[in-house]
Amino acid sequence: MAEINQYKVACSPHKLDGATTRRVMLDVLIALLPCLVCGVVFFGLYALMLVVICVAACFASEQVYNLIRKKPFTTDLSALVTGVILGLNLPPRAPWYIPVVGGVFAIVIVKMLFGGLGKNFANPAAAGRVFLLLAYGSAMTSFIGADIAGNILSADVTTGATYLGGGVGALADGFLGAEGYWGYVLQLFLGKVGGSIGETSALAVLIGGGYLIARRVIDWRIPLVYLLTAAAMALLCYGSANEILLQLFSGGLMFGAFFMATDYATSPKWKYNRVLYAFGLGVITVLIRRFGSYPEGTSLAILFMNLLVPAMDRFLVPVRFGQTTKKGAPKPQVMKWAMRGLCLVLALAIAVAAPLVSYTEVAFYKGDYAYIQSVSRDFSGKYVFDVKGTAELGKFSQPLEYEIQADAKSQKVVGIRPITQSTKGYVAELSFFEGKTYDEIVALKDLSTDAQTSATYTNIALKNMIVECFSALDFELGKYTDLVLQEEYTYISGAERSGAKLRFTVSGQADLSSPSRPYFQQLEYVVTIENGRVKYIQTVTESTKGYTVDRALFLGKTYEDILAMTEEGIRADGTTGATITNVKVRDMLLECFESECFASAAGGEQV
Amino acid sequence: MFTFANGVHPKGCKELSAGSGIGRGPEPKNVYVPLSQHIGAPAVPVVEAGERVLCGQLIAKAAAGLSANVYSPVSGTIKGVVGHITLSGKKKNHILIENDFLEEKTFLPHMEEITGESVLARIAEAGIVGMGGAAFPTAAKLNVQGKNVDFLVVNGAECEPYITCDYRIMLEYAQEFLQGVRYCMLAAGVKRAVIGIEDNKKDAIAKLSSLAGDGVAVKALKTKYPQGSEKQLVYSCLKRVIPENKLPADAGVVVVNVHTALAVYKAVAEDTPCYERVMTVSGKAVATPKNIWVKNGTLYRDVAAFCGADENCARIVSGGPLMGEPVFSLKVCTGKGTSSLLFLDESECESKNAEPCIGCGRCVQACPMGLSPVFIERALFDKNYEEAEAYGAAYCIGCGCCSYVCPAKRFLVQSVKLAKKEVRARADKKRREAEKKNG
Repeated sequence: MAEINQYKVACSPHKLDGATTRRVMLDVLIALLPCLVCGVVFFGLYALMLVVICVAACFASEQVYNLIRKKPFTTDLSALVTGVILGLNLPPRAPWYIPVVGGVFAIVIVKMLFGGLGKNFANPAAAGRVFLLLAYGSAMTSFIGADIAGNILSADVTTGATYLGGGVGALADGFLGAEGYWGYVLQLFLGKVGGSIGETSALAVLIGGGYLIARRVIDWRIPLVYLLTAAAMALLCYGSANEILLQLFSGGLMFGAFFMATDYATSPKWKYNRVLYAFGLGVITVLIRRFGSYPEGTSLAILFMNLLVPAMDRFLVPVRFGQTTKKGAPKPQVMKWAMRGLCLVLALAIAVAAPLVSYTEVAFYKGDYAYIQSVSRDFSGKYVFDVKGTAELGKFSQPLEYEIQADAKSQKVVGIRPITQSTKGYVAELSFFEGKTYDEIVALKDLSTDAQTSATYTNIALKNMIVECFSALDFELGKYTDLVLQEEYTYISGAERSGAKLRFTVSGQADLSSPSRPYFQQLEYVVTIENGRVKYIQTVTESTKGYTVDRALFLGKTYEDILAMTEEGIRADGTTGATITNVKVRDMLLECFESECFASAAGGEQV
Repeated sequence: MFTFANGVHPKGCKELSAGSGIGRGPEPKNVYVPLSQHIGAPAVPVVEAGERVLCGQLIAKAAAGLSANVYSPVSGTIKGVVGHITLSGKKKNHILIENDFLEEKTFLPHMEEITGESVLARIAEAGIVGMGGAAFPTAAKLNVQGKNVDFLVVNGAECEPYITCDYRIMLEYAQEFLQGVRYCMLAAGVKRAVIGIEDNKKDAIAKLSSLAGDGVAVKALKTKYPQGSEKQLVYSCLKRVIPENKLPADAGVVVVNVHTALAVYKAVAEDTPCYERVMTVSGKAVATPKNIWVKNGTLYRDVAAFCGADENCARIVSGGPLMGEPVFSLKVCTGKGTSSLLFLDESECESKNAEPCIGCGRCVQACPMGLSPVFIERALFDKNYEEAEAYGAAYCIGCGCCSYVCPAKRFLVQSVKLAKKEVRARADKKRREAEKKNG
C-alpha cells in the first residue's frame, strides 16, 4: 500500500451543513423574484429600471467602500438582497435618483459604517426607505394605480390612491367577478392596486416567503406571529373583522413580515425572542396605521424593533438544558410558556372576536333614505348604519357622518361612533341616545345642550338619523303578512300585520303648485302603528327638494293627538311645501286609524 | 417519537459499513499498548522488558484513584515502555510488545458466584472503560452506592454518522449484549434498564425487542444528532433532565454504552479482560469499509493497510465526523475508546474558511444545551467572559452542532470550548480564593 500523505488535518466537525452565506442570499433573491415580476407586470418597465438602479447603487457603493477602506471585495450577495428589497419598496414612478440615494444610504451609512455584513443594528432596506420617506416626502408617497397594459412602457406620473391612503375608494368595486368586500380582498391579495413596486401582491410575497420557509432560510415564527398580531390588532383598533384581511394584504405588511423583519443581523436569535419581536412589530405597525400620521407603519415598526433586538438578545437568554435556579430547582421556562400563551391568546381572541364583529353588508333598497348610506350586519344580529347628513348651523352647513350600531331585537341603540362632525365643539351629545330604545328616543323632547344651539341642531339631526335607521330596519326586514282590504280608501293601498303592529302603505298627491306653475308631488309612505300609536313613518316617495314630512310631529302620537292637530300646529317654518306635505300625512294617518283593520280588530274578527 | 430539543440532522452515511459483519482485524507485528486509554491516571506497568506475556495477561495495573487495568492484546515479548505519539500530539508512555503470533491466551479466574459486588469487582479488574469514546472507567460509573438510582440507560443511539460498530454488536451479539446489560444492572443495583436506539437501526430495534423483557425495555429514538449524548439520551429515554454540574446518578440513572455492556459480559461470563474492541473503519477512501475486532495498541497504519485505505484520502478522523479528532499521523495507535477510524475523500469533507457572522441564529436553534454560540463567540473575541458565562459557555458538551449548521462556516464549537475553558478556570480561581478567605 502506498503511503497516505496527502491528507489534511482540520478541526471537527468534519461534515458541514450545505448552507453557505452565498446560498442563503441567493435563496432570498430567488424568493424575491415573484414580487419583482408582479411589480413589473402591474407597474411597467420603469419600475424594473428603478429596482435595477437600486441594486446597482447598493452593489457599487459596497465595493467602492471596500476599495477606499482597502478591504477585499465582498462576494456574498447581501448587497444585492438589500438592493432588491429597497427597490421593491419604492413607489413605481419615483425619480431615478431616489434609488441611488437610498441605496448608498442603506449600504454605506446603515451597513458598512457599522462593520459590514452581520454587524448593522438596523435593517438597511427599512432604514433606507424611512430615510427616503423623510427626505423625499412627496415623491415617496405618490403612487400610481396598477395597470397591466397601460403601465408597461409608460413613465407617466398619474397619482392614484392606495388602500391605506385612500380606503376602499382606491379599490375597484368588482374584481374578477367578486363583488364588494371579497372583491376588495381578492384585489389586494393579487396586488392589482396602487402601492410600492413589490409590495402590492400578497400572493407573490406568500410564494416567495413559502420558498424561504421551506428552504429553512427564514424562521416561520417571525412572519406568522407578525401577521397574527397584526390581525388581532386590526380587530382591536378598527373594531371590525372585515378590516383584518384588508389590513394584512395592503401596504408593505406582508412584504415586510417575510423579507424585512426576518433579516438575520437585525432580528433576535432565540426563537421565543423572535415571537416577542414579531409581536412588537405587529402592534406597532397597526398602531401607526390607525393612529399615526403616516398611512404605512411597517418600515418604522421594523426600525423601532431593531433597536430593541440587542437588549432582547442580551437579557432574554435561552434557558439551558438542565439549568437550575440557585436553590437547585429546574429553572422555569418563563419565556417559552409566555410566548406560547401569547400566541394562543391572540389566536383565541381572533377566533372568538372575529365572528362577533364580522359584518356582512345588507342591501336596503326599498325606501328613499335621507341619511342611510350603507348597512351591515354582524354575527349577533347587530346592525351598523353608516349615516350622513348635515346640520344647518346658522349660515354654515356642517356635514355629519356617524356610525350607528343598532340592535334589531331589543330596538336599542348600542353605540354611536362619530366620523365627521363639527370640529369647533358643536358635537352631538351621544348620551342622549346610546343605550336607549327606539321609543325612548322618539319620546325625547328636549335635545338642547346648554347654550349651544348649534350642538342642539346636531343632536336633532342625529335623532332623525336614528329614527330613520330603526324605521328602515322594520321596513326592510320586518316580516308582515298581507291583509285583504274590503273597503275603498282615499290613500291606503295596502295593509299588513305583524303581531301587534299594523303597517299601511299610503299614497297620495300634495298640491305644491305655485301661482305660475302647477305641480303635484307624488307621496308614498309606509306607516306602522303599534298599540294605537304611530311607530314608524317610512318614506317611499316624496319631494326631493326638501318639502318633506316632519316625522317628529307624528311619531309616538295617538289618534286623538293627531285629530287635534291643526294646520297651524303642523306648519313647517318657511316652506309651505313641507307644511302641505305634513297636512297630507296627517290626513293619511287619520285614515289609517279609522280603517277597517282597527275596527275589525276591536270586534275580534280576523280579517 | 422520543427525542430531545434542537440538534441537527447530518446525513447518516452508515450504509457504507452497516452490512459488513464483525470480522477479525489486523494482526500487527508490534503493538503499542497505551498506558492511558481512559480518563484518569495512567496505569502503572507491571512487566519488564524482555518478559514474555500471554494474550489477556495484566501488563499495567490501575493507578490510585480513577484509573483502569491494561491487558496484553497479543502473546509475545515486552520490548519495554516507550514514549509514543498520541492523538493529541503529546508523547505518552506505551508498552511495546512484539507479537509472536502464537495467540496463547490466559484468562481471568472463573467467577464462582455472581452478585452485584463481585460483578463490580470483575468490571474493575477487567479494566473496562466506557467504550463509546469518553473512556470513563465503568466500575466507577456503576458504583452508585448511596444514590437513589433506579434506571440503567444503555446508549445504543450511535448518532454519529458512519459509525456502525454498536449496531453490528446489537445484531450479532444480541444475547451476549443483553446478558451484559443484566450484569450492569446487577452491578449498579437497579431493576430496570432501557436501551435507547435511533430509529435508523430498525432491525436492531426489532431483534432486541424480541429478546428483551424482564426489566429491560427497548426504546426507538428519533434519528437526530447528538441523540447519543448522555444528557440528551437520558432525556429522550426517560424524560429526565440531568441538572447542570450533576451526574446522571443525581437524576436516578446510570448510562453505559452498548460495547461496554458486551465487554462486561465477556469479563463476567467468558473471563476475558478488555484488550480489544470492535471498530468501524469507513469512509469513501476505504476500499472495503468494515467492522472489525481491533487489538488495543494497533497502529492506525496497520488498520489502514488492513482495510485498503486510499492514498488520496483527504482527511482521517478518529471517531465520528462531528466530534471526532483529526488524525495527523498514522503512527497513533488505537485504544479502548477508539470506536472508529474514518478515511474521508474530498467529497465527504470540505475545507472551510470562516466568513463574517451574518447573525442567522441557526447555532442557537441547533444547540442541544440551549446555549447561544454566536454570542459566546462574540463575547470571547471581546474577552468579556462574564457575558460568555451568561450565555452558558461553561456548559458546552462540544457536540459541534453549532459549527455544523453555520452558513458562514465559523469555528463556533472551538470558540465555545475556548470560552468554556476560560470561564471554568475563572470559576475555579474564584472558588479557591473564597476557600482561602474562609480558611
